[in-house]
Amino acid sequence: MMNDNIELILPFKAEYVSTARLVASGLANRIGFDIETIEDIKVAISEVCSKIVRIGSKVADTYKIVFNISDKVLRVTFGCEDGSLKCIFDFENDQLAIDIINALMDSVEMCTENNYILSMSKELEEIV
Amino acid sequence: MSGELKLIEEKLSDAVKVSLNGEVDIYTSQDLKEKLYCIVEENKKDLIIDCKELNYIDSTGLGIFVATLKKAKQYDKKIVILNLKENIKKLFIITGLDKVFEIK
Repeated sequence: MMNDNIELILPFKAEYVSTARLVASGLANRIGFDIETIEDIKVAISEVCSKIVRIGSKVADTYKIVFNISDKVLRVTFGCEDGSLKCIFDFENDQLAIDIINALMDSVEMCTENNYILSMSKELEEIV
Repeated sequence: MSGELKLIEEKLSDAVKVSLNGEVDIYTSQDLKEKLYCIVEENKKDLIIDCKELNYIDSTGLGIFVATLKKAKQYDKKIVILNLKENIKKLFIITGLDKVFEIK
């Protein structure tokens, strides 16, 4: 049974958001998601990265994305040493991004009391 | 490293056609915004955005389309979007923007 964590540490720079998409694409493919779902996952991850980069941090140089891959689920967790990066989405100004993330992923945890910024997951659908 | 975006502008008799090739994300969006604003202001014609070669867009890019539409409406002009790939059309539907733009 597969249960692996892959960590990607990125600087707060717009030019590396595409790197997160690239890594997500490879890992989602490994689990067995179809191309359409992989595109959805890439968009959701990119939305979060873009927002993190836009906010930035005064105390940290980087943020971390942890991809947990198991046989049927991809869980993506975003974290940063900067504890002030918590509720990153503004429900008034980021409605497009919030709608997209919620629609494309199976579960999304925002503004939690946990020590990460945001966590979301996508489950492989059984083909009957 | 980052996805690139190319923009080809073609002047038609009653509109300006812009063909996008590549990816629109946080890295490429500022350049796109400036170019689209410039095209709308210089031409004051309807804008046709051909997305046949557009491989990726996120809310940053969608926001730029909306902002450009607002600018076009100042001159009583519209934006028509052509050839959206299914994964991108899905984002327009999720966000309700399929009802805001003329999509063909």
